[in-house]
Amino acid sequence: MEEEYGILENTVRDFSAKFIENNALKIENEGINETLIRSLAEQGFLSMAYQQGVGKAIDMKAFALILENLAKTSPSVAVKVLLTNLFLTLATEESILNEVSSGSKSGTVVLSELLGGYSPKERLAINGNRIQGKKEFVVDSDASFIITLVDSGELVLLKSGFSKDAKHKRLGFRGLDFSTISVNSDNFDVIAKNGLVELRNAYSRMAIPIAAIAIGIAEGSISKAVEYAKVRMAFNHYLKDFQPIAFNLSSNLAELSMLKQYLSYIVGLEKNSTEALFLKTRSMEAAKEISKNALQTHGGYGYLEDFGVEKFYRDSMALSILFYNEEKEMEQLSEYVFDSKAGFV
Amino acid sequence: MDFDEMDDMKEARERARTFAEKYFTEELAESADRDEKFPMDLVEISRKEKILDFSNPWKILVSIEELCRRDPGLGISVTITAFGSENLMLFGSDYLKEHYMNSVLEGKKTMGLGVTEAGGGSDVSSVRTEAKKEGDHYVLNGGKMFISNGQIADFFVVLARTSPPPSPEKRHRGLSTFVVESSAPGFTANKLHGKLGVRATNTAELIFDNVKVPEQNLIGEEGKGFYYIMTFFNISRIYVAAQGLGIAQGALDRMMEFAKNSTNLANEGDLKEEIHFAIAEVATRIEAARNITYKAASYLFNFNPNPVVTSMAKYYAAETAVFAAKKALEITGLTGITSKLERVYRDSKILEIWEGTSEVEKLIISRMMTKNQGGN
Ligand SMILES: Cc1cc2nc3c(=O)[nH]c(=O)nc-3n(C[C@H](O)[C@H](O)[C@H](O)COP(=O)(O)OP(=O)(O)OC[C@H]3O[C@@H](n4cnc5c(N)ncnc54)[C@H](O)[C@@H]3O)c2cc1C
Repeated sequence: MEEEYGILENTVRDFSAKFIENNALKIENEGINETLIRSLAEQGFLSMAYQQGVGKAIDMKAFALILENLAKTSPSVAVKVLLTNLFLTLATEESILNEVSSGSKSGTVVLSELLGGYSPKERLAINGNRIQGKKEFVVDSDASFIITLVDSGELVLLKSGFSKDAKHKRLGFRGLDFSTISVNSDNFDVIAKNGLVELRNAYSRMAIPIAAIAIGIAEGSISKAVEYAKVRMAFNHYLKDFQPIAFNLSSNLAELSMLKQYLSYIVGLEKNSTEALFLKTRSMEAAKEISKNALQTHGGYGYLEDFGVEKFYRDSMALSILFYNEEKEMEQLSEYVFDSKAGFV
Repeated sequence: MDFDEMDDMKEARERARTFAEKYFTEELAESADRDEKFPMDLVEISRKEKILDFSNPWKILVSIEELCRRDPGLGISVTITAFGSENLMLFGSDYLKEHYMNSVLEGKKTMGLGVTEAGGGSDVSSVRTEAKKEGDHYVLNGGKMFISNGQIADFFVVLARTSPPPSPEKRHRGLSTFVVESSAPGFTANKLHGKLGVRATNTAELIFDNVKVPEQNLIGEEGKGFYYIMTFFNISRIYVAAQGLGIAQGALDRMMEFAKNSTNLANEGDLKEEIHFAIAEVATRIEAARNITYKAASYLFNFNPNPVVTSMAKYYAAETAVFAAKKALEITGLTGITSKLERVYRDSKILEIWEGTSEVEKLIISRMMTKNQGGN
């Protein structure tokens, strides 16, 4: 079994080297193109949550490996894969599942209600047999299908009748669109009446995959910094020779290595929701801290997109806001720790 | 000891704040950031309104703070057009002052400073650009990297090597500073695209291909360039610290705004403590950074510069700006990341890099302190 994961990891690395590495900047500036989406689908990366005959259970270890390794070169691509699979865990219609997992159509899920600092300015309501209004904060708003909550609490799948509206500022994941959508649709399914619970459960199941993206971001940035520190000189020394640089990067790597070990350990547990939150909270911090160090190690060059390290700085922060609600998830963790509601005042 | 601001500081602060509120629209800030376009029209207005009063450094300091508080990219663009002028003020001949410096201070010309090279920025003495004396002029060959105002400045103060170092340990010797005009034949500026932040500012790589520089454009004495540049940094770092104070204060403003409008209540009318703590931590750091910065400024403006305190101010204010922007985003979440705060987060990071990285500032602080050359 371990061998299979090793093979998978190599496959993702080869895939990244072939399809992403040299296009990483292009992906940031022009978006993820159809060819790449098809290639992701061909590898099966878009259908981890939907394999015919296997049902909807995701092999978490495999999924985490894929996301981690994609995020090392393009966090945008990793997020695309995450959202597609999240979509597949929620959608039910066979034809849509087929289209999305084959990459011929795309699907996304709106998570805003679960995130911190959320206060809707727009409304999205079911009126008779139509859904009308707007929905803000749609990551990958170019998608053909969108799963979102409506004001009355149902989780719905929009199949058509929506279009992109105002674009949001994009700190991170610039390979994906991030906008408000305008909806006037009679082509939708209600997936769950108690939508918030369904959405929250699906989101919670993604704690390890999201942590894997954070770990990938940290790895991607630190490997650049380590390579740079080996060749860049200042004051007649390689940067790696200076204690603050060598010690910081080494201690970052130590932390990363432990997070990776912990991830491998918890994916094997039968129940791991608490551990998944432990991992997620630490991985988010690590990604932010490590990508900052990596940028700093590059000096002025770190500030330029050509060096491919500033995107990790942006993406780590974007991840910790668009796929993590520090307050809520820490409250949840505190409840586990204290065995009763805690950390809410 | 009096911690109250002088009246003319208060007046300058108010003027800068009013100016920024009026002209630093979100639309302009956003388009300058998106298109990486230097806001020349805005600079012209600020010059007309004399937003920077070069006769009083305290007024400059608080103006930078207020402008960066509203928007770092626009604030820095408006206040950076005389970047490097202190070199001329302190060490330039009357000719250089009249011919170059005055036009910048009067707002008619723009200048820049070319120290960093592709091969190294922290290690200033590693400069490879060469200036060879030929008759009544020098011939400049080499290049500079990451130069602010690179494409828009009329001239630059450039650090170049005029003689080989006496030994590998004494590479800081044999360097000289010159005024180099951007219209000179052989001068090229290539814009650097794709910066993380401060995208309103113009940054370029400069190339000197047999650029002739008249000998009267040598600043001060030949061979003293390194010393002049270090002296200059001890001034400019105080203004970078002011940028940091402004950016941090702007982030705190957003946090306060969020807190006031927040539905994030524990009990009726009472914010949750995480938000209280974040505000308190950021506000306290700003206060500390401001005190160090004003102390460094006070030493400098009274002609008694203290490089240790100056480096402390630059290092701490820069880190405070980055810390504040990060905290502000974390607290405001989706609201923040879709607001101008995301830009502030990107902008703030430059402060830990330019004009001496945080690491370089720490080295200056401890090296000078262990040699009993400053501090308290
Ligand atoms: C947008 C922008 C505008 C700029 N504007 C100007 C300008 O107008 N004029 C100008 O001359 N320059 C300018 N700079 C250059 C800036 O000052 C340099 O980037 C900065 O000084 C760092 O130099 P470097 O990039 O070569 O990094 P390096 O010197 O290569 O440093 C790389 C890393 O190593 C660290 N390091 C180096 N030495 C040590 C040591 N001994 N111990 C521990 N760590 C160490 C550094 O702190 C940094 O983290 C600008 C840069 C940018 C990005």
